Formats: sequence, C-alpha cells, structure tokens
Amino acid sequence: MTGIPIQHEPLGRRALRAWFDPRGRGVGLIGFAFNRISGLALFVYLFLHLMVLSTLTMGTGAWESFLQLARSPFFIVLDASLMAAVIYHGLNGVRATLVGLGLLTSKHKAMFWVVIVASALLWAYAVYLMLFVF
Amino acid sequence: MSDNGRPGPKRPVTFKVFRYKPGDTDPPRYDEFKVDVDPRMTVLDALEDIRTSQDATLLYRHSCHHASCGTCAMKANGREILSCVTNVLELGTDTVVVEPLGVLPLVADLTVDMTSFADHFEPAGMTLLRKSEFNPKAERPASVQDYARYENCIECGACISACPITNTDPQFMGPADLAALYRALVKGDDLPEKLYALADCEHGAWRCHTAMECTAACPSDVDPGGLLMALRRRVTGYKIKRLFGLKV
Amino acid sequence: MQKLVDQERAGGTWLWQALSGVGLLILLGLHMIAQHFIAQEGLRSFQDVLAYIRNPIILVLELIFLLVVTYHALVGARAVITDLGLTRQQGDTVNRILTAVGVIMVVWGFYLTWFLATRA
Repeated sequence: MTGIPIQHEPLGRRALRAWFDPRGRGVGLIGFAFNRISGLALFVYLFLHLMVLSTLTMGTGAWESFLQLARSPFFIVLDASLMAAVIYHGLNGVRATLVGLGLLTSKHKAMFWVVIVASALLWAYAVYLMLFVF
Repeated sequence: MSDNGRPGPKRPVTFKVFRYKPGDTDPPRYDEFKVDVDPRMTVLDALEDIRTSQDATLLYRHSCHHASCGTCAMKANGREILSCVTNVLELGTDTVVVEPLGVLPLVADLTVDMTSFADHFEPAGMTLLRKSEFNPKAERPASVQDYARYENCIECGACISACPITNTDPQFMGPADLAALYRALVKGDDLPEKLYALADCEHGAWRCHTAMECTAACPSDVDPGGLLMALRRRVTGYKIKRLFGLKV
Repeated sequence: MQKLVDQERAGGTWLWQALSGVGLLILLGLHMIAQHFIAQEGLRSFQDVLAYIRNPIILVLELIFLLVVTYHALVGARAVITDLGLTRQQGDTVNRILTAVGVIMVVWGFYLTWFLATRA
C-alpha cells in the first residue's frame, strides 16, 4: 500500500495502476491489460521487423547472417513470445470487437476464458512447430 | 450464538483505513483499527464503531443505510463497494483495507468531491423515471395510466472509480454518463441528434476499451458497460443510416 | 445540428480499427503460411524471398498487409496515448507525428518491395 491515492499519483504511475493492477479487479481488466501489453509489444516488433527486412537490400550475405541468428535459441524464445502476443491480441481483438459492438456483452467473461484456452492451444502448436518441425 | 440472535461469535478484524486531511494528515497514511466484528456487521457499521469509540476525526459519508442513495461508496480491499450493505466477514480477510473512490478529487479521509461527477450528468440527461417492465400483463386500475419506476442508477460513482480510462483521461465521459445517455435515447424525450453527437465523439462512447469493470463494480444492477455497448450499437446504426441518407 | 461537443473528433476510428483487425486476421494468417509453412525449414532464403515477391498476387497482398498493419498499429498507439488525457493541441501533435511515422513506414515498405521485385 503506497499511501498515495491514485488520484494524486503522477500520470505515469496512475496509468500503470489503473490499467495493469489486477488487485480488486476481474477478468475484464486482465483481458484489457493483456491486450494493451501485447499491442504495445507488437507495435515495437513492427518497427524491428521492418528494420530486419531492410537487410535484404544488403544482399545474400546479410540476409543469411540474419537467418543464422533467427535459428538461435535466444531468438526462438523471442519468437515464441511474439507468437503468444500475436495469437492473444488477435483472438482477444475479436472478443473486444464483438463486445464493443454490443454483441454477447453479457458473455464477456466466458469469452475471455475461451480466448485464453484457444490462445494457449494455438501457442503450444506454434512452439511445437518452431522447435521440432522447422 | 451472538447477542443479536445471529449465529456465530464476534471476530477481531483489523481495518487499515486511508487517512488524509489537507494541511493536517498530509501526506496520506493508513491507520489501523481493531474491531470485534459480529456476523451482521457491515463496513459502515465498523467505520461508525471506529469513529465513536476510537477516532472521532474519521471522515466518511453515509445516508440511507440501505443501498438506495449511493452516498457511502468507497473501496474495500481494492474493490468498489457500498459500505452500508457490504458484510465485513463476507469480505473473507482478517485485514480490511478501506479507501476512498478513485478518480474523483479527495476531500478528506474516505470522502471525495462528487461535483464533477454530478456535473457530467447534465448534458447526458439524467432520466430518473422510466416505464416499468414489471407485470406487463397486470390489470391496471382505470385511474392509472401507466406504471413507472425509478432508474437503477444511484449515482454512487463506483463505476467511474473502477474504470481504467476515467482514471487517466479526465475528458472521458465515463460509464455512468454514457449509460444515462443511452437511457435518455431509449426514453426518447430528447432530440436524438443531440444525444448521438454527445456519444459519437472521441471522449464519448468510443474511448471505452471494454474492460467492463464498471459493470462489475456497480452495486445497483445498472450494467453500465452493457448499456455503453448498446449505445455503440445504436451510434453505429445511426452513422450507417446517415451515410446512406436513410431516416434516422 | 447544434454543436454541443467536439464533433470534429467523432470516433469512427474505432470502427475502422476493428475492421482492420479483422482484416489482419486474414492477411497475417496468409503471411504466416507463406513465410513459415510453405518456406523450407520455416524461413525463406534470400533467393526464396526474391522468387516469392516477384509473384504479382503476393506483391499486392503483402503491400495491402503493410498498409493495414501500419494503420492498425498506429491507431492502436494513438488510442493508448489518447487514454492519457490530451489537450486538443496535444492530440493534433500526436496525430501529425503518428501520421508522419506511418507515411515513412509505408514508403519504406513500398520501396523495399519494389527493390526486391525488380532485382535480377
């Protein structure tokens, strides 16, 4: 307990508490928080992806060097995290669109759990492909 | 059996209460009070006990004591409650943290300034009464034209305290406002164009990110999140009709 | 119509964000299949990339993907920033910056695609 009421916190800390602190909150906030975190991560990734693709302008050698890096264990861990973000953000986005248009609004909690289970299954499959097939 | 006829002994509960008085108890802190809680005690009962027997300077609001005025809204263990109807032992913890609502400016201790909250309602149109949905087939005496009921919203502020966006964007109309706006639209008394203009703006219905914590916090079954989404559906239909030049 | 609030800030952007999101489910799905399922060992070699991008249908789809994902990402970032409570002026500045970033990203992506598609 910080002793500082949320109304008195500076904007940055207020945002962190209001958007991401699950204490006293339900799955609605957790779904929103995960969506925001995954969205921000994907936003950063988009820039990184364009930068990486720029190595294609430097010829075969530069690109093949990147592919070597992409097969390293560290990169596979990063890719697995990326897949988690993509899958969750995509599926929860469908949920947010439906709820946001007033469709199945009363079922938003059940839909959250469907998203979590579906995300976990798809992610497990993606990781399996990355580790054992590709 | 306890002496008020309800089964169960009293249990000691520690209350960590937020304290703040501008120029006096500043910076804010949490004071601890021990209360022997009997099974019927509400959070408000405990605060009354603390104020009368331990610290007469504790400041909080209360009025009806039966969940119809919304005055006593605050947070217990991080969650918005009406203290007059929230049973202490049902919170399930030996220590209960009591805090004021979020978002709204602090006055002192557990009281917040409700002025801005009340001001927000005016443009949305605060419908107090609507047609009753109860017993539609009931026989009506000849002298009675229609049945009406009071709206569920008791303007307690719990929904805006729980909303992640009202906490960071002071321009966001907020769930209570937007739910009231939807009810005004449905009631049909006011110009729909005026109400659609209020809803269909950046800090209106579209600022919501469907966390639905407002509905979870509402003690009065208003379902502000659900009404906000129904408002969005209406606004979307309105925009599409306008796009094709159809009658709205 | 009486202007009661900032009507110029009408929030149809949310609807476009939702639509672009649905579009991305399809476009990203196709992109993933093409880049990782069809490609040998899940990653395209340099020559594979050139051969892939020379297909006109692929070229068009990838450019549409770039446009939609850039839009969705920047509108999403704008939503997060706007949630922090901006003044009108700050909102305009954020819009200008994000639009400029989006234009740079799309122009760079288009250039990169043209460069690879025309490479011998």
